[in-house]
This record gives sequence, structure tokens and C-alpha cells, in this order.
Amino acid sequence: MASFNRGTSILRAFSRILPAGKLVFCCVAVSILAAACGRDVAPSSVAVRDDFGNEVVPGVARRIISLNPATTEMLFAIGAGSRVIGRTTWDSYPDSARLVPDMGPGLRPNLEVVIGAKPDLVILYASADNRPAADRLRSLGVATLAVKNDSIGDLGRTLRLLGIVTGDSVRALVVADSVRATLDRVRAATAGRERRTAFWYIWDSPLITIGRGSFMSELLAIAGASNLYDDIATPSANVTLEDVVTRNPHWVVAGPEGTRNLRRDARWRAVPAVRAGRIIMADTALVGKPSVRLGEAAVSLARRLHPGIEL
Amino acid sequence: MIRFESVTVRYHGAASPAVDGASFAAADGGITALVGPNGSGKSTIVRALLGREPLESGRILLDGSDRGALKQRELARRVAVVPQREETVFPLEVREYVALGRYPYSRGLTSSPDDARAIQRAVERAEIAGLLQRRTDELSGGEWQRVRVARALAQETGMLVLDEPTTFLDIAHEMSLLELVHSLAAGGMAVLMVSHQLNLVARFASRMVLLSRGRVVADGAPVEVMDAATLEAVYDWPIVISRDAASGAPVLLPLRKR
Amino acid sequence: MIAPRAWHWPAAVALLLFVALAGLVFGVSTIPLSEIFAAITGGGDETTTTIVRTLRAPRVALAAMVGAALAMSGAALQGALRNSLAEPYLLGVSGGAAVGAVLAFGLGLQHTGSLAIPAFVGAIVAVGAALLVARAAGRAARGDPRTLLMAGVIIGAFANAVIMVALANSTSDTLRGSLWWMMGSVADASWAGALWLGLYLGVAGLALLRLAPEIDVLALGEEAAAALGSDVERATRTVFLVSALLAAATVAAAGLIGFVGLIVPHIVRAFGVRRHRRLIAGSAIVGGILVILADVVARTALPPAELPLGAVTALIGVPFFLVRLGRMR
Repeated sequence: MASFNRGTSILRAFSRILPAGKLVFCCVAVSILAAACGRDVAPSSVAVRDDFGNEVVPGVARRIISLNPATTEMLFAIGAGSRVIGRTTWDSYPDSARLVPDMGPGLRPNLEVVIGAKPDLVILYASADNRPAADRLRSLGVATLAVKNDSIGDLGRTLRLLGIVTGDSVRALVVADSVRATLDRVRAATAGRERRTAFWYIWDSPLITIGRGSFMSELLAIAGASNLYDDIATPSANVTLEDVVTRNPHWVVAGPEGTRNLRRDARWRAVPAVRAGRIIMADTALVGKPSVRLGEAAVSLARRLHPGIEL
Repeated sequence: MIRFESVTVRYHGAASPAVDGASFAAADGGITALVGPNGSGKSTIVRALLGREPLESGRILLDGSDRGALKQRELARRVAVVPQREETVFPLEVREYVALGRYPYSRGLTSSPDDARAIQRAVERAEIAGLLQRRTDELSGGEWQRVRVARALAQETGMLVLDEPTTFLDIAHEMSLLELVHSLAAGGMAVLMVSHQLNLVARFASRMVLLSRGRVVADGAPVEVMDAATLEAVYDWPIVISRDAASGAPVLLPLRKR
Repeated sequence: MIAPRAWHWPAAVALLLFVALAGLVFGVSTIPLSEIFAAITGGGDETTTTIVRTLRAPRVALAAMVGAALAMSGAALQGALRNSLAEPYLLGVSGGAAVGAVLAFGLGLQHTGSLAIPAFVGAIVAVGAALLVARAAGRAARGDPRTLLMAGVIIGAFANAVIMVALANSTSDTLRGSLWWMMGSVADASWAGALWLGLYLGVAGLALLRLAPEIDVLALGEEAAAALGSDVERATRTVFLVSALLAAATVAAAGLIGFVGLIVPHIVRAFGVRRHRRLIAGSAIVGGILVILADVVARTALPPAELPLGAVTALIGVPFFLVRLGRMR
């Protein structure tokens, strides 16, 4: 039983990072404009497919259940918030999203709840454990969209797909552009500055950090720092405190709770950055998911890493 | 008739055999008592008969046919064995327990009228009709032994083997059980009874086989086998033998050491 | 101990049906009986019909069969191994199945539904290994059923180690999938899956019922069983294998659901059932009742989230078992 407890705590830690798997990009050949005009346009010869390989049917979904905090944020950002009738327990942004009924933790959704809400579109995170639910929903005639929105590069594509299914591809394009523009601005501003290493503290027991595969590692790079564990390809990894001390990061990045742990736990005094107080408290809600607030996240991180930077 | 011919049994990896060329027989119509000190091989002989230990050499004949050629079920239809140990982790009602004696005859999912008759007879002969509704873990030691004999009788065999049937029983239960076994033998069964209680079995057995270190050292009528010199050597203890005034049976008396 | 009564059997079946009906009624939303009947007969609201017919009904059916299979397996094993603490999961079945599932996850088998086959293969391999270990050890302790139990425990421990190694460096998808699976659930039930397990339950269940008199005899101990004409080693092996197959099929269908195989036979014995044919049949009914009930708890305790079914059965099972142990003196 103890191993189960440990397992679930690791699980919670992992779920904060939302892993980046290798995405299989299928041909996205339908023009944005054609999709924007909705159903009136003759269907293109090449279908757009989601990350479970299912065809994405253009339309104007009216009862949407979004089972991924990132897609919920995006739906609200592109003005489809009023059509969202279900969300996950973890969705917290924007505030109005909290008024939408809670459909559970998002992964392995409770199909009775989902079907009972009579949705015409269910958006899922494209992980293996969501596949049975997606298959079941489709067999019951409910449209699904499964996206593995794990990296900053995925953001534009996810928004585009959301645009196709909500019938407002132009808004989606505008939102994607504005995030990209902010990120570009931050990247340009930090380009000439010294890149110091940062250790991103995710979880304590076991000690988990981010690897190259995480969008948070990309975020660090844009904000003008380099991830201490960029040599690890996976989104997250178990590491040892000893190795962190040896690698001697200039910064330690952590969430509010993590920051408290770092200051309280005497072992962490072995890390010079912690001793010197070079701890960056990141807003977990902001940096925790690759969504429309990535620009905001990059700005706030860059300001902490490079005080006085012009943005 | 149960006949052991030069039976040798060796436990896996043991240097010396547990039973070493033992030859003797238990004839129909009488009790043959198998006696001897602890570790002399008495229970091993029973286990060998059951097929729980393989024979290194020799053979066991049941009414002339080789035990080795018999399937386990056929064995159980010829000889009924009441082993020393039996588990009561999952107790049964006595009625259910005695019915298990029909297992060697069971075929498929049904029971035959023969079964009911055999069980009825076994219950009557063992005089356990009053116990049928009781649970096997609620019986006294004496009742339990009678019930076990009844189960063996339900097997309707011509041969019966009992391993230490009177251990832990008080005088009345001990005697009544032996009277029961004696009446079964008198009815024509071949009974082989393993026992420690020489004085007791001497009064019921028609024949006595004395084992020592796996070998038969004496075989004959109780009066012949219960010889002070032989028993002193086998049991390694000073012993005197006297005669029971009433029955003439030999009585053994171990002496105090000085 | 309650004396067995003739009405106990129809009452148990009625209770099973009643509980199955409750399984259709209760969930995140309570569906009134009238609507349930409407959904079954084909009238009524479309969403409700979908929920009742394609979600709840196969789920209740699968839960009942998982419970029946595990309980029958447990009843047979306890008797044949003469150990009231024996249960299929102690024999390496769960460990082996978990290894199969975790490795399949790790190799990128995306669909959780396709875990059934590797899990089943893993369970069978583990049971085979346990039998081999028991045979190697068995030369010294011939016919001692504890050897088989110990062999199962050893194989289980080894399987655990393999799982730990496999999960130590796995992706979060693998980890999450494996954990969910190890906690057991019938949430993904489909009619196809239920039918598949039903087939297994039918064949293996009948085999166990046929083996029941042999188990009665085995329960008396090695020597007594041999005296009654049982080929002890072969019979023990057969019961072990059939029980393990049955448990492996449930593990493949619904992941790991503990304690059912352990406690259900005790419940049935408490009603005075002793002969194994009745014990195994009764365990099937009571096992079905127990797992349907546990699943109702799993889906109604914390809506809209679901509790792992294996955790619910353990939460029900452990206290119950402690009480039983206390009464057993």
C-alpha cells in the first residue's frame, strides 16, 4: 500500500508537467479560411486528424465538455467559453470557468457524467488512458477531439483545431498569434543576456525536475535561462539532491509550496542558490500548462531572471 | 489379505532406508498389530501403502494384486485407511464427512442408491447415528475416531488399515473402539493396526509384527512376539513380561531405572 | 454460524438480482426504476437509455462475473490447499498479470482494452513459474500445500520487483495507466468484455464445480485424500491451475481487485455451507453481490470522480476479515 501512496504522489507531480510525447503530426492541409467558413464549404480531400487519429469534423459545437485545463483556457480565450458545459476539477482559469460544472479529474472521465450532460463535443487530453473513453463516446455518436498539447509548439495547432470545431478559426488564429508574438518579444529581449542555469523543483520525495521534453524547459529558454537538466530528454525525471549540488544551479525555480519546502528543509542548504536566496517562486497556475497564458508566464519569469529587463 | 514383500522405502536424500526389506502380512478375519518404537517405520509403511512414498524395492499385494498396478481410486475401493493425521480446517457435518467414504465410487455429479445404503450400514456398524448432525470439530476424541472408522467402512472394502487409532483416548473410548475394530475383523475383514499400546493390542490382535529400524524383528502371535529379551533390545529399556490372569494375554511392564 | 436453510439459496439469488438492479439505479445520477425499465424495454429518454444500456448494464454484468470468478477461485483454492487464508492473488496471479500489463504499457500498447492479453499471459507465466518452484521445493516437502503458497508468494515478490524496475524509468502515461490498472476497475466495461469473461467463467466455473468432490477430499489432508482415492498432487495442481486461470481472466478484464477471493468463501461458510460444490456455487453468487455493491460505492462515493474498485473491496474486506478472524477464536 505504501508503494501505491508513493505512486499517486508521483502521479500528482507528473500531472503538473503534462508530459510531451512525440506527436505524430498528420497532414494539416485544410486551409484555415475554408474551415472558418464552416460547413458551407465543400469538404477538403484531406481530413484533419486529432492525436487519436480521428477525423476532426468542422462545425459549430454548442455543448462542449473540455477535459483538459489548457483547452478550457483556450476555449474561453477564443470566445467559446459560454458554450463550455463541462470542465475538469483542476480548471481554475479564467474565473468564469469555475462556474462551469465539474466533470471530474479529466483523465479517464466518468462517462455517465459526460453523457448525462448531453454534449455535442468532448475535448480530451490525448493520453493512452483516455482512449477507451474517446472510443466509447464516438461509438455513442458524440464527437471527440483528443489533443496532446504538451509543448509550446503544440499551442498553435491545438488552437487551430479548436477553431475548426467551434467554427471560429479566425479568433483562434488571433489568439495563437498574440501568444506567439509575446513569446517572440520575450525571446528577443533576453537574447543578448547571460543565460544562467536554473533547477526547476517539481516535487520533493522523490525529487522530480523537468527535462528537455517539457514545455517548461522551453519557457525557461525563452525567459533567458537554461534548464539544469536539459540533457535529459524526457519531460520529467527523478534526480538526486547530490547531483543538483554537483551541478550547482544559479537559480532554483519552484511553486509556492515548493518554495516553502526549499526554505524549511535544511538539506537544501547544501545548494548554494538556495543558501543565497536565489529562489524564484513561479505562479503554478500560470506556468503549469502550455496554454494561452504562456506569454504572460514568459514575461513574469524573464522579469525575475533579469531584473530591470525592458518588455 | 495385505501382504508386504521385502518392502524397502527410503526418504529422499536419506542415508539409510526408513523401511528395510520388511515382509509380513495382515490376514483376513483378524487384527494384525504393527508395533515398534518411534521411528521404526510403522507410519512409513502406511504411507507406502497409500502411495505417498515410492517403494525402492519390494511390493505390496492386496488380495494378491500388486498395489503398484492399481490406480489410487481402485486402491481406495480395496483398502480403507484411517491415517494418523487428518485436517479439520474446514469442518464438515458428520453426515457429510461419512459420505466422503463414497468418493472412490463417485462418478460425475450424481450419487447412487448404493452410496446411501453403504453410508447407512457404516453408520450403524460404527454406532454413530446420534452424531450425524454434529460438526467434526465439535466431536470428542473418541467420537471423532469412531466417525473416521465409519467413513472408512463407507468405502466398503475388505481391508482396513488404522494408524494409531487410540492415541489420546480415555479407557472407555479406547476399549469400545478396539471392540468395534475387533468385531469388524471377526466379520472377515483384514485389519492392520499400527499402535504404540502393546498391552492393549495384545488382547485384540491375532498377530503382532514388531518393527525396529525399518526391519521386522519379530512376527507371530502376541505371546510369541512379546518376549522380554526382544522388546528390551528393541525399545532399549528394561522390561518384564507377565500374563494377564483372566485372559492369558501377555502384559508388558517397563521398569524404573536405578 | 448460521444453520443452512433451504430458503437461503433463492434468497441469495434474489439478493443478487436486487443488487444488480441497484447497480443500474445508482451512479453519479440516480435513475428511477421506471426510467430503468423504460430504457431496457426501449422507450424513454435517449441519454438515459444510453447510460443504462451501454454503460451501467455491462458494468454491472462485468462486476458480477469478476466477483463470481474471484470468489469461486478463492473457495476452491482454500479447500484444495487447506488454508483459509489462501486466495488467487497469493499465488502469483496478480503479480504476473501486473508485470504483463506494465510491460505492455511500456512497449507502447496504447489501448487499455488490449492489456487483457499480456495480463493474462503474465498471470499464466507466473502460475507456471510458481508450480515449477513448488515442484523444485516439493521434493523435500512432498504434498505440503504450503509449498505452493510459498512459491506463489515468492513469484509475487519477484513480479513486484520487475514492476518497480519497469516503472522507475517510465513515462507518466505508462505510470498512470499501470497504477490505474493495478487498482482495478470495471468502469471500462463493455458487452464484448463481459461476454468474454462470461465464457471463461462458464467453462472454468463448471470445471471447478466438477472438481468440488475432489476438493472436499483434499481438504481432509494429504494422507486422508490419498486414502480416499485422490491423486493428491495431480488434483491439487488441477485445482490450482483452473483457479489461477479464472483469476487471471478477471485480472485481464478488470485489473487487480483484492480480497474478494479471500473473504467471500468465509461469508458463505458462515451460512453453514461446507461441501465444496455448494460452497463454490454460493461463493459465485455472494462474490457477484459483493463486487456489484463495491462498484456502486466506487462510483457514488466521490462524484464525479471514481474510486478504484480494488481499493473499495479492500476497505470492505479487511475490517470484515478481522472481525471474522476474531470470532474464529
